[in-house]
Amino acid sequence: MFIFTLRRFNLFFFTMLLLTILSFSLSFLFPGEQLVNLTGQINATPEQLAVLANEYQHQAGFITQYFSYVSHLFHGDMGYSMASHLPVATEILNRLPATIELTSVALLVAMFVGIPIGFFAAIYHRKTPDNIILGVAMIGYSVPVFWLGILAILVFSIQLGWLPSAGQISLLFEIEHVTGLQLIDILLSDSPYKWQAFIDATRHLILPVIVVALAPATIFMRLARTAMLEVLETHYIKAAKAKGLTFWQIIYRHAMRNAFIKVIRDVGLQFANLVTIAMVTEVIFSWPGIGRWLIESIYQRDYTAIQGGLIVLSTFIFIVHIIIDFVYAALNPLAREPRHGA
Amino acid sequence: MNLIDIRNLSIELQTATKPILAVDRVNLTMKEGEVRGLVGESGSGKSLLAQAIVGVLDDKWKVDADRFHWRGQDLMRLSLEERKVIISKDVAMIFQEPMACLDPTTTIGEQLEEAVDTEQLTGFFWQKRQQRKQAAFTLLHKVGIKKHEVCVKSFPHQLTDALCQRVMIAMALARRPILLIADEPTAAMESTNQGQIFRLLASLNQLKNMSILLISHDLENVTHWTNSITVMYSGQFVEAGTTEQIFNQPYHPYTRALVDSSPKANMQIPNKSRLMTLPGSIPILQHLPIGCRLGPRCPRAQQKCVRAPKIKNFHGQQVSCHFPLKDNYS
Amino acid sequence: MARDKIYQEEEFPTPLMQLWHNFKQPPVVVIGFGCFLFLIVLAILSSLITPYSPIENHLNDLLLPPAWSNDGNVSFLLGTDNLGRDMLSRLIHGTSLTFGLSIIVVMASLIIGVIIGSLAALTKGVKSSFLNHFLDVILSIPSLLLAIVIVAILGPGLENTLWAIIMVLIPQFVHITRNAVKEEFTKDYVLASRLDGANSFRILRYSVFPNIIEKLISQATLAQSAAILDIAALGFLGLGAPIPMPEWGAMLANGIDLFYIAPWTVYLPGLAILFSVIATNLVGEGMRHALKVRKEN
Repeated sequence: MFIFTLRRFNLFFFTMLLLTILSFSLSFLFPGEQLVNLTGQINATPEQLAVLANEYQHQAGFITQYFSYVSHLFHGDMGYSMASHLPVATEILNRLPATIELTSVALLVAMFVGIPIGFFAAIYHRKTPDNIILGVAMIGYSVPVFWLGILAILVFSIQLGWLPSAGQISLLFEIEHVTGLQLIDILLSDSPYKWQAFIDATRHLILPVIVVALAPATIFMRLARTAMLEVLETHYIKAAKAKGLTFWQIIYRHAMRNAFIKVIRDVGLQFANLVTIAMVTEVIFSWPGIGRWLIESIYQRDYTAIQGGLIVLSTFIFIVHIIIDFVYAALNPLAREPRHGA
Repeated sequence: MNLIDIRNLSIELQTATKPILAVDRVNLTMKEGEVRGLVGESGSGKSLLAQAIVGVLDDKWKVDADRFHWRGQDLMRLSLEERKVIISKDVAMIFQEPMACLDPTTTIGEQLEEAVDTEQLTGFFWQKRQQRKQAAFTLLHKVGIKKHEVCVKSFPHQLTDALCQRVMIAMALARRPILLIADEPTAAMESTNQGQIFRLLASLNQLKNMSILLISHDLENVTHWTNSITVMYSGQFVEAGTTEQIFNQPYHPYTRALVDSSPKANMQIPNKSRLMTLPGSIPILQHLPIGCRLGPRCPRAQQKCVRAPKIKNFHGQQVSCHFPLKDNYS
Repeated sequence: MARDKIYQEEEFPTPLMQLWHNFKQPPVVVIGFGCFLFLIVLAILSSLITPYSPIENHLNDLLLPPAWSNDGNVSFLLGTDNLGRDMLSRLIHGTSLTFGLSIIVVMASLIIGVIIGSLAALTKGVKSSFLNHFLDVILSIPSLLLAIVIVAILGPGLENTLWAIIMVLIPQFVHITRNAVKEEFTKDYVLASRLDGANSFRILRYSVFPNIIEKLISQATLAQSAAILDIAALGFLGLGAPIPMPEWGAMLANGIDLFYIAPWTVYLPGLAILFSVIATNLVGEGMRHALKVRKEN
């Protein structure tokens, strides 16, 4: 287990190295002055620029420049947004929690809906439920998410009026910003309207979560189905049958666990895809998250913001990757240590 | 009374085009307390036969039989569920690759405990848990594993193949079976471990009077451990008899060839001469010869062999051949 | 007169024939393949068969609903948008933009990715491990974010979007080619031809590629459905094709404000995207299924 942890940290370090190199080189690739792109000071006087150049060791070689950039990053300094002239780090801190909330809830929903349905399809392999589930899954991951979002707003917010269509919470509620995660903040606050606010925030969350979760859920369905079919073919299931266990005992005690392990390994890879979908969904539902902010930054040619957003979002995805890896290792004894003899 | 009596059991593989008869009217009888070897080349349908008896074949395979008696009870009259209940109570099976037959993510202890028959336990559920654990330890002791504490906490991949096979046997013993079907239990093992497993099986047979159906592709290997042998070729019944009969005076040309190809049985032949083998190889499932499937390879084949032969009985030795090698031994 | 077959002969079709045989078994896949071919034909012939030009304004017929509704007009089968442009013509032209370009994009990234991937498979040691980590990093960045970053460098526009999507898709192909080639290289038949004295490129060309081509094609169908969605998404976000262009995503974005008055301007492009993605996915699904069946036999 120790070696496993060490390996993950090693990987994390290496990834961060590559990511920062990538983001650093972006400042050269974006149009305009490199130093300005890096710091976001578009209206700086020549004197200020000279100070900045000194600070970022602009005269030295690329490697020194890179290290001074990284040390700025470590101090939480990502430069200033070209559009709002606020520090990028503050902007991101204000928006990232909303994205974390949306994506993690959507991931959980996708897993808890998709995987059981996939298992169900595998158990009824080549029968009617299996075919129906496969068909629905095919449509589910073929639907363009922006179209789905618009349709969802049209049907559920406008025609039926069940759920709100935009934002994270109704503006009537004033919630103190503590962790940034809206639902937790509401629970922490001592407002007299706590529960109304909580219900309102949940209602705001439902539509975007469903829109984000649909495609990943259908992918999990297919992954779970394949994994379950593979497991049901293995020798140990046959041996368990010969042991005299009933079919459902076999499914609960052996098949589900092994199939779930196989699925978990791919959840990490799907998360990047889920974040992509979430970015578009944030735009449609005016969700105050980092995805919408990034896309707006493009319209405003806010290169500093794009660099910062890229780093933070990728780091977030990578941390989720690693967490999922640990869950995988916790569930699967084979991943924790090498095989004996082999 | 026979323990198990099977007549004309056929197994068909359902494919997209046409069904393939993988096992063609095979007979198998066993007495109580007997160790019977089931011998045939790989692909001769011996594993299929065993799996059909235990009932773990999936839907692709269709099993038919004229008679299937278990301790005098006609199983063909029972529904699939009832048959499964009876079989899983009295028959246990161990497989070729023990490592692959244990759930890789569950500890040995858990897997052993779930095999323990609930009916053997008494008392309330909190007592039962302790009893289950105790039962698992006893089972491990029975198969000669002394370090039970370590063993129950291990995962299958932490044990060696031979240990895993012992655990599999322990699991099979959990239900106190009358018949143990061992499907090439030592296929993937070194010869020293093979000996251990065979000795364990033999002692179980002698101490508990447990019948064993030992499946193997190696005639020479099983002769040492069995009372009687059934030989199969390409899904067809070839010959059955006591081990001495089969080994010393085989009547079927195929059995003869098997015995002739074994070095131990041919100690008297001169040095550096070739061992006898049949020409050709076992036919593939898509192109089975009609009649006796050995036909194209058989040295004694004649026109009659395109029809499947009836089984002849010579002093308890059953042969399925038109032209048995009967005269050679008198 | 047909002669009786005396001997039962085993015919061994070529691997590709076998694949095709397995591919056309499920009827759904055949329908999907038919739709796919239909879309290709539409994309090629788009400018010949459309009744109107996609940017021609019919100022007398603004926001006309489709022909089956009461206010519809048969000469504009699927209605018109807010500038009086014929929806049907725009949709058909959109086929060559969204769907047709996605094929080109996938081809380009397939070729580049396979070349890099096979070179990567032949390298060993630090270089290979560095590349591996680099690919992992790139693959863990959301594809749309990466495309956005590239668009930010190149500036918005349809052509730049295409370059961005090509660059986003390349790592996937590099990854799969590299893994597939490495896997094949451990097999014994490669060792055999190596012992015959073949060099690495010869082995790649004659031994490895014929064996991994199906894997690549099946990845390409996956990549294509992703490419269609990405082109449309960038168009929708206003970073890809400019609004007057009949690209499906841009058409959708154009229709959003008119959603309540003219819902067909949103439904139709969305359905077109859905249709083409499902057709592509069905082809890919059939392909993977056929590969699996062939492997099992």
